[in-house]
Amino acid sequence: MARGSAARTSTQQTTGTSVLGKGARVRGRVQGSGDLRVEGQIEGDVTVTGDLAIEDGGAVKGDIDAASVVIGGALTGDVAARGPVSIRATAQVSGNMGGAEVSLEEGAVFSGRIEAEFELPAELTTRHKGR
Amino acid sequence: MAATVIGHGITIEGEVTSDEEVLVAGTVRGKLNVDGPVTIEAGAVVEADVGATSLSVGGTVTGNVNASDRVDLLAGGRLIGDVKAARLTIADGASFKGNVDMDV
Repeated sequence: MARGSAARTSTQQTTGTSVLGKGARVRGRVQGSGDLRVEGQIEGDVTVTGDLAIEDGGAVKGDIDAASVVIGGALTGDVAARGPVSIRATAQVSGNMGGAEVSLEEGAVFSGRIEAEFELPAELTTRHKGR
Repeated sequence: MAATVIGHGITIEGEVTSDEEVLVAGTVRGKLNVDGPVTIEAGAVVEADVGATSLSVGGTVTGNVNASDRVDLLAGGRLIGDVKAARLTIADGASFKGNVDMDV
Protein backbone atom coordinates (compact mmCIF):
# COMPACT_ATOMS: atom_id res chain seq x y z
CA MET A 1 0.00 0.00 0.00
CA ALA A 2 1.64 3.15 -1.25
CA ARG A 3 5.03 1.93 -0.11
CA GLY A 4 6.65 3.74 -3.04
CA SER A 5 5.77 7.18 -1.76
CA ALA A 6 8.75 7.28 0.55
CA ALA A 7 8.99 11.04 0.24
CA ARG A 8 5.85 11.44 2.32
CA THR A 9 6.80 9.05 5.08
CA SER A 10 8.69 10.69 7.89
CA THR A 11 12.41 10.06 8.14
CA GLN A 12 13.68 8.10 11.12
CA GLN A 13 16.09 10.78 12.28
CA THR A 14 15.77 10.19 15.98
CA THR A 15 18.68 8.64 17.78
CA GLY A 16 18.73 7.59 21.40
CA THR A 17 18.60 11.14 22.72
CA SER A 18 15.38 12.84 23.66
CA VAL A 19 15.14 16.56 24.27
CA LEU A 20 12.61 18.53 26.21
CA GLY A 21 13.03 22.01 24.75
CA LYS A 22 13.03 25.39 26.50
CA GLY A 23 9.36 26.10 25.94
CA ALA A 24 8.23 22.62 26.89
CA ARG A 25 6.59 21.51 30.10
CA VAL A 26 5.64 18.03 31.23
CA ARG A 27 3.30 17.28 34.10
CA GLY A 28 3.49 13.55 34.65
CA ARG A 29 5.84 10.63 34.49
CA VAL A 30 8.68 10.28 31.99
CA GLN A 31 10.26 6.85 31.52
CA GLY A 32 12.04 4.74 28.95
CA SER A 33 15.29 3.94 27.23
CA GLY A 34 17.90 6.35 25.90
CA ASP A 35 19.27 9.69 27.01
CA LEU A 36 17.22 12.74 27.96
CA ARG A 37 18.17 16.41 27.94
CA VAL A 38 15.88 18.76 29.84
CA GLU A 39 15.88 22.44 28.89
CA GLY A 40 12.25 22.93 29.91
CA GLN A 41 10.27 21.83 32.94
CA ILE A 42 9.18 18.48 34.27
CA GLU A 43 6.85 17.98 37.21
CA GLY A 44 7.02 14.26 37.86
CA ASP A 45 9.38 11.34 38.18
CA VAL A 46 11.94 10.66 35.47
CA THR A 47 13.29 7.16 34.83
CA VAL A 48 15.63 6.60 31.89
CA THR A 49 18.14 3.86 31.11
CA GLY A 50 20.58 6.39 29.63
CA ASP A 51 22.05 9.68 30.78
CA LEU A 52 19.99 12.59 32.05
CA ALA A 53 21.05 16.21 31.73
CA ILE A 54 19.17 19.11 33.27
CA GLU A 55 20.49 22.15 31.44
CA ASP A 56 20.85 25.65 32.91
CA GLY A 57 17.31 27.02 32.75
CA GLY A 58 15.74 23.59 32.95
CA ALA A 59 13.84 22.41 36.02
CA VAL A 60 12.72 19.05 37.38
CA LYS A 61 10.43 18.50 40.34
CA GLY A 62 10.48 14.79 40.97
CA ASP A 63 12.71 11.81 41.60
CA ILE A 64 15.31 10.80 39.02
CA ASP A 65 16.62 7.37 38.11
CA ALA A 66 19.24 7.30 35.34
CA ALA A 67 22.62 5.89 34.35
CA SER A 68 24.34 9.21 34.96
CA VAL A 69 23.02 12.64 35.85
CA VAL A 70 24.35 16.12 35.06
CA ILE A 71 22.50 19.00 36.74
CA GLY A 72 22.99 22.56 35.53
CA GLY A 73 19.47 23.76 36.29
CA ALA A 74 17.02 23.32 39.13
CA LEU A 75 16.10 20.03 40.75
CA THR A 76 13.77 19.32 43.62
CA GLY A 77 13.83 15.59 44.22
CA ASP A 78 16.04 12.60 44.85
CA VAL A 79 18.55 11.17 42.40
CA ALA A 80 19.43 7.49 42.05
CA ALA A 81 22.17 7.02 39.48
CA ARG A 82 24.16 3.93 38.55
CA GLY A 83 27.03 6.13 37.37
CA PRO A 84 28.29 9.61 38.23
CA VAL A 85 26.20 12.55 39.35
CA SER A 86 27.64 15.99 38.64
CA ILE A 87 26.13 19.14 40.04
CA ARG A 88 27.33 22.13 38.00
CA ALA A 89 27.99 25.65 39.24
CA THR A 90 24.67 26.94 37.88
CA ALA A 91 22.61 24.25 39.62
CA GLN A 92 20.04 24.67 42.37
CA VAL A 93 19.41 21.30 43.94
CA SER A 94 17.30 20.17 46.84
CA GLY A 95 17.25 16.43 47.46
CA ASN A 96 19.32 13.36 48.16
CA MET A 97 21.96 12.34 45.65
CA GLY A 98 22.89 8.70 45.20
CA GLY A 99 25.42 7.54 42.65
CA ALA A 100 28.75 5.86 42.01
CA GLU A 101 30.39 9.25 42.41
CA VAL A 102 28.98 12.69 43.12
CA SER A 103 30.71 15.94 42.20
CA LEU A 104 29.60 19.36 43.36
CA GLU A 105 31.00 22.44 41.63
CA GLU A 106 31.71 25.70 43.41
CA GLY A 107 28.75 28.06 43.05
CA ALA A 108 26.07 25.39 43.09
CA VAL A 109 23.25 25.70 45.60
CA PHE A 110 22.65 22.36 47.27
CA SER A 111 20.66 21.07 50.19
CA GLY A 112 20.30 17.40 50.90
CA ARG A 113 22.33 14.27 51.44
CA ILE A 114 25.07 12.87 49.24
CA GLU A 115 25.52 9.13 49.21
CA ALA A 116 28.32 7.93 46.99
CA GLU A 117 29.38 4.32 47.14
CA PHE A 118 33.14 3.95 47.07
CA GLU A 119 35.90 2.21 48.94
CA LEU A 120 38.28 4.29 50.99
CA PRO A 121 41.93 4.02 49.97
CA ALA A 122 43.89 1.53 52.11
CA GLU A 123 45.99 4.21 53.85
CA LEU A 124 42.88 6.09 54.97
CA THR A 125 41.20 3.02 56.43
CA THR A 126 44.37 2.00 58.32
CA ARG A 127 44.79 5.54 59.66
CA HIS A 128 41.22 5.46 60.96
CA LYS A 129 41.91 2.20 62.70
CA GLY A 130 45.11 3.60 64.19
CA ARG A 131 43.30 6.47 65.93
CA MET B 1 15.84 19.30 14.67
CA ALA B 2 12.78 20.06 16.65
CA ALA B 3 13.10 21.89 19.97
CA THR B 4 11.52 18.97 21.78
CA VAL B 5 12.12 15.38 20.75
CA ILE B 6 10.38 12.54 22.55
CA GLY B 7 12.61 9.73 21.35
CA HIS B 8 11.83 6.16 20.48
CA GLY B 9 11.65 4.17 23.73
CA ILE B 10 10.55 7.12 25.85
CA THR B 11 7.08 7.13 27.39
CA ILE B 12 5.45 10.21 28.88
CA GLU B 13 2.33 9.74 30.94
CA GLY B 14 0.74 13.07 31.71
CA GLU B 15 0.41 16.46 30.19
CA VAL B 16 2.93 17.85 27.72
CA THR B 17 2.77 21.52 26.77
CA SER B 18 5.20 23.46 24.62
CA ASP B 19 5.40 26.73 22.72
CA GLU B 20 7.87 25.25 20.24
CA GLU B 21 7.96 22.42 17.74
CA VAL B 22 7.54 18.90 19.12
CA LEU B 23 8.56 15.62 17.48
CA VAL B 24 7.22 12.39 18.92
CA ALA B 25 8.94 9.09 18.11
CA GLY B 26 8.03 7.45 21.42
CA THR B 27 4.81 7.24 23.40
CA VAL B 28 2.66 9.99 24.91
CA ARG B 29 -0.38 9.23 27.04
CA GLY B 30 -2.46 12.07 28.42
CA LYS B 31 -2.49 15.45 26.75
CA LEU B 32 -0.29 17.12 24.15
CA ASN B 33 -0.72 20.86 23.73
CA VAL B 34 1.74 22.65 21.49
CA ASP B 35 1.75 26.20 20.22
CA GLY B 36 3.65 25.11 17.14
CA PRO B 37 3.97 22.19 14.73
CA VAL B 38 3.77 18.59 15.95
CA THR B 39 5.24 15.62 14.09
CA ILE B 40 4.27 12.10 15.08
CA GLU B 41 6.73 9.74 13.44
CA ALA B 42 6.11 6.26 12.13
CA GLY B 43 6.20 3.87 15.10
CA ALA B 44 5.17 6.55 17.61
CA VAL B 45 2.06 6.06 19.73
CA VAL B 46 0.02 8.99 21.00
CA GLU B 47 -2.96 8.21 23.19
CA ALA B 48 -3.89 11.79 23.91
CA ASP B 49 -5.91 14.75 22.80
CA VAL B 50 -3.62 16.81 20.63
CA GLY B 51 -3.68 20.57 20.14
CA ALA B 52 -1.20 22.15 17.70
CA THR B 53 -0.85 24.69 14.92
CA SER B 54 -0.13 21.90 12.48
CA LEU B 55 0.02 18.15 12.93
CA SER B 56 1.71 15.51 10.82
CA VAL B 57 0.83 11.90 11.65
CA GLY B 58 3.02 9.04 10.48
CA GLY B 59 2.41 6.95 13.60
CA THR B 60 -0.68 6.12 15.62
CA VAL B 61 -2.89 8.72 17.30
CA THR B 62 -5.86 7.85 19.46
CA GLY B 63 -7.59 10.99 20.62
CA ASN B 64 -9.18 14.16 19.39
CA VAL B 65 -7.08 16.50 17.32
CA ASN B 66 -7.41 20.27 17.13
CA ALA B 67 -5.10 22.13 14.77
CA SER B 68 -5.33 25.83 14.06
CA ASP B 69 -3.73 25.36 10.65
CA ARG B 70 -3.58 21.85 9.20
CA VAL B 71 -3.49 18.10 9.78
CA ASP B 72 -1.59 15.75 7.46
CA LEU B 73 -2.25 12.05 7.84
CA LEU B 74 0.66 10.34 6.08
CA ALA B 75 0.81 6.91 4.44
CA GLY B 76 1.04 4.32 7.21
CA GLY B 77 -0.37 6.80 9.73
CA ARG B 78 -3.36 5.92 11.85
CA LEU B 79 -5.74 8.37 13.46
CA ILE B 80 -8.71 7.41 15.61
CA GLY B 81 -10.55 10.47 16.85
CA ASP B 82 -12.24 13.63 15.76
CA VAL B 83 -10.33 16.21 13.77
CA LYS B 84 -10.91 19.93 13.92
CA ALA B 85 -8.69 21.77 11.47
CA ALA B 86 -8.91 24.26 8.64
CA ARG B 87 -7.15 21.86 6.28
CA LEU B 88 -6.83 18.08 6.30
CA THR B 89 -5.02 15.69 3.98
CA ILE B 90 -5.24 11.91 4.19
CA ALA B 91 -2.63 10.06 2.17
CA ASP B 92 -3.22 6.80 0.32
CA GLY B 93 -2.47 4.03 2.81
CA ALA B 94 -3.44 5.97 5.93
CA SER B 95 -6.17 4.83 8.33
CA PHE B 96 -8.70 7.20 9.81
CA LYS B 97 -11.79 6.82 11.95
CA GLY B 98 -13.59 9.83 13.29
CA ASN B 99 -15.38 13.02 12.42
CA VAL B 100 -13.94 15.97 10.58
CA ASP B 101 -14.83 19.57 11.36
CA MET B 102 -13.27 22.04 8.95
CA ASP B 103 -14.98 24.95 10.65
CA VAL B 104 -16.77 26.23 7.52
